[in-house]
Amino acid sequence: MISDSESHGSRRQFIKAISAGGAVGLTGLAGCIGDADDVNDNGSGGSDTVQYGVIEPLSGSFSDLGEERLQGTELAIQQINESDEYDFEIDYETYDSQSNASTATQKATEAVQSEGAQYLTGCISSSVAIAVNDFARDNQVVYTPGAAAVSVTGENCNDYVFRFETSTAQIAEVMAQWTADELGDQIFYHIADYAYGDSVKAEVESRLSSISDSYDEVGTTKSEFGSTDFETFISQISSASDEADAVVVGMTGADLAIFLSQAARRGLGEEIPIVTTTASFQPVLQGAAEGAYGVYSGVRYVPSLETGDNQTFVEAYQDEYDAMPDNFSRVGYESIRMVARGIKEAGTTDPTAVKDTLAGLEQETIFGSNRFRECDHQATNPVWMGECVEPDSGEVADVELLTELGGEEAAPDCETTGCEL
Amino acid sequence: MLGGLIQQLLDGLTIGVVYVLLAAGLSVIFGVMHVINFAHGELFALGAYFALALIGPLGGGTGFFVALLVAPLLVGVIGVLIERFTVRPLYGRNPLYHILLTFGLVLVINDLIYVGWEPGSVSMPIPEFLRATVDVLGASYALYNLFIIAFGGAMAFGVWALLEYTKFGLIVRAGSQDRQMVRNLGIDIDRYYSLVFGMGAALAAVAGIVLGGYQTVSPEMGTSIIIPAFVIVVLGGLGSFKGAVVAGLLVGIIQTVLRTHVPILEGLVIFLLMIGILLIRPQGLFGSEAHDDDGGELLTGTGGVLDSQTRTRLAIAMVGLLALVPLGVGTLYSPYVVSLVIEILIWGLFALSLDFVMGYTGLVSLGHALFYGTGAYAVAIVLLNVSQSAFVAIALAVLVSAGIAWFVGFLSIRVSGVYFAMITLGFAELFYNVVSRLEITNGSDGLFGASAYYGVAGVGVDLDSIAIFLGSVALTGQMLFYYVALAALLGAFLLTRRMLQSPFGSVLKSIRENEQRATFLGYETTVYKRRAFVVSGALAGLAGGLFTLNTGYATPSFAHWLHSGEVIVMVILGGMGTLYGPILGSFVFFGLEDVLTDFTARWRLVLGTVFVLFVIFLPQGLVSLPSQLVPYLSGGSSPETEPTPEDPGFGGDG
Repeated sequence: MISDSESHGSRRQFIKAISAGGAVGLTGLAGCIGDADDVNDNGSGGSDTVQYGVIEPLSGSFSDLGEERLQGTELAIQQINESDEYDFEIDYETYDSQSNASTATQKATEAVQSEGAQYLTGCISSSVAIAVNDFARDNQVVYTPGAAAVSVTGENCNDYVFRFETSTAQIAEVMAQWTADELGDQIFYHIADYAYGDSVKAEVESRLSSISDSYDEVGTTKSEFGSTDFETFISQISSASDEADAVVVGMTGADLAIFLSQAARRGLGEEIPIVTTTASFQPVLQGAAEGAYGVYSGVRYVPSLETGDNQTFVEAYQDEYDAMPDNFSRVGYESIRMVARGIKEAGTTDPTAVKDTLAGLEQETIFGSNRFRECDHQATNPVWMGECVEPDSGEVADVELLTELGGEEAAPDCETTGCEL
Repeated sequence: MLGGLIQQLLDGLTIGVVYVLLAAGLSVIFGVMHVINFAHGELFALGAYFALALIGPLGGGTGFFVALLVAPLLVGVIGVLIERFTVRPLYGRNPLYHILLTFGLVLVINDLIYVGWEPGSVSMPIPEFLRATVDVLGASYALYNLFIIAFGGAMAFGVWALLEYTKFGLIVRAGSQDRQMVRNLGIDIDRYYSLVFGMGAALAAVAGIVLGGYQTVSPEMGTSIIIPAFVIVVLGGLGSFKGAVVAGLLVGIIQTVLRTHVPILEGLVIFLLMIGILLIRPQGLFGSEAHDDDGGELLTGTGGVLDSQTRTRLAIAMVGLLALVPLGVGTLYSPYVVSLVIEILIWGLFALSLDFVMGYTGLVSLGHALFYGTGAYAVAIVLLNVSQSAFVAIALAVLVSAGIAWFVGFLSIRVSGVYFAMITLGFAELFYNVVSRLEITNGSDGLFGASAYYGVAGVGVDLDSIAIFLGSVALTGQMLFYYVALAALLGAFLLTRRMLQSPFGSVLKSIRENEQRATFLGYETTVYKRRAFVVSGALAGLAGGLFTLNTGYATPSFAHWLHSGEVIVMVILGGMGTLYGPILGSFVFFGLEDVLTDFTARWRLVLGTVFVLFVIFLPQGLVSLPSQLVPYLSGGSSPETEPTPEDPGFGGDG
């Protein structure tokens, strides 16, 4: 499915003349040391093709998410290329990041230097996305990451990075408010012991302690990232269930799916409400199967949303792939569209000009009116709280929305993000 | 309290039994055939996926039990085929070659799983009645876990009885103690190899299925369990079934108990345990004192077909050619080529560092990524916190790596062979776990945004802000760094070559050829090996440091065991014991990967197949290709015969 985008054989031709390479035109004395500013970058003007580098984890542990995100990306590109609204076409190459920072930056280098890409999108894990963040800044290309880590548009933000993925900080906002309102403020945490887990706890904790004076952390257990055996923690959570109002689980992916199925087998959900960040993801729901019933989850996206032109997107996606879109496909899809509108608005494909236009540009998205905030380039997505419920048919749980928090309320204050733009 | 303890004990036993099933096969395969089977984890995953495919149409009730019977048989057959067609040609060679072979098989099988099934984790349906919970001494307990303990226990008991009370078992046990003696008694032990391999594979599949029902099934489940399984095998003693059982249950229980009481130690404990036990009892808990042999020859590269003058000229020409690479940017190819070759040069340096110990003293370090990672983190930490001078950062990276190499060498070099490989792996995994947690290394995300200037005490240049103009070509940034990397590689090559030509080098080579004789000559071989290890560690640190210097970041993945595996692959691919072979290996590895990833998403399948073919048909690496081809070109006969386990080896410098 990705091979058709990779069939441009030209990439392997080392003998490829770079016509735009300003370096060629320079004349200078042999061996003379000069100022690097004398060496032009790829002069990029208002050409009518936008070259994209799509870097996704297509092998390894995030490959299902990578494939899904890629489908959203390809759908958006196809729609833009068929539409009369835009006076440019998007051309793209797909690369496999292998969920590895050094591979991802190597592929980014290939995309930019070999294919002349001016726009990058993709990458799911935070470490990889942050590495590409820095690459985008150094190479002055616009990048739309797929990671949810707070620091991507926080302390590791830069001018060239725009994120449509909902940040963990935004999800934590709705989780904290809903949990305090509906369940209580005596919280037990179980997190995976790595950046994501730590940030979930930090974000939920800081919000809960500002919402409620009586907030208390009953206890915390940490499992290794990639753990497959949570029995011990389930026992610990179970024995704290008298004191605690809820257990907040800071894990995602396979960790979370396994945790939920093991917890369900032990009947943990009947003892204490389980509140998660990402149980609403299809891969988690599939992995956990019946284990997800009755679990609460922050929701970044579900296909049933009636916001913006989401239903048009869902239909187009179903037509194309014969499947429902999920969180990662909508991120891939709208990331491309938002940047494309920025290019249209800027009237040039030059990423340096586009980045200035894009920041703060109000546009209609699948979530309705939205924008990348000027202070951190984070999209102001609304967020929801949901419950995974037993479906009418089949085994994989449905997600029922319980409450919504608007984009402006969910977004953290600009002063607190750690991003200085 | 008692209830809690029983709970933990049962939890520990559940996972422990799975470990036992996995480690038993792995251990017996090693004991009998001396095969370090990295693909065991993939067979484990394959078992779970076959079970899924069978349960699909049959349903979770009867389907589960049918799968539990049929899927292991299928995997067993695959195991037999693997032994027949890939492992068999390698008997008589050093177990090191099995690392490359089974590493290739890991890529192949793993990619086949991706071809056959959806990526991502899926839950395996289990029979309805096993989903209940029961009360055991006041604590509620999932019935399925008890089923795992009972079923796994019965399986392990069955295997034990088979080994203990049948003629088949008798021969296998004898073979694992002394292969040659069994042969001398007139028993054709080779015939038993396929069966043992198939049985081990089937046991792994059983483990995969019961664990799949307990957790979920995902294509990554094999890679995540193979390292703990290896540690258990080594802990129990290679080849010892009893050892695998005791160590498996022990690790399961210790992990579970620690998780409750000292969670910080959870990921570290099995490695600490392994290092500790190997230091006290190098043969593991139940391993036999004297292993019959260390498993055959290391096939190091030979002199080749060219005389030394031509070789020198060729080398100079290669360096000259490499020096020209950045000049073609913009006219012949894009700047990406420079970035790619920089990475290749750095990995070439890393592979060269490994070759210095592996190819010249026979020490197979399975944890060399530890030093690469140390160098990378040292540079990142220095640049971000202390000084932005590239020279200071690199110097410290080399020093720290050398220091850690001395320490690791001090503790590890007393053991040899596979035990040395495992102990270095243990240290590397400890490092990986620690940098994933520490504040100063920024946990699992890693360190980003390090920039440097080339100079000291604030006086120097930033590569991005200067340019060297050569005619019509302007060299700046990456292109200048290219020469830094090339100079480092060349310097390291000349340094190690000089060392090997010195008396020090002669001792190293004599250790590789026959350590006992070197000792008889009065050399304290441990000291020499340790020195070589320090040099190697320092160079690996230099490689990691250069990478971070160039890219500005360091992440825990640098120290992951897959990195250590890849660098071994490069060394063997190119030809070990040659210094230049590993550099060639790096070019081929990255070149293949770069080309293959463009053509197919299933590039691992092709790459893995290439490794398998390589190790079978070209064991001395690429550098031996010319001498292998000469007889054919001149119309002569095949240069070598098919090796058998009797064959003491057919390569070597002699």
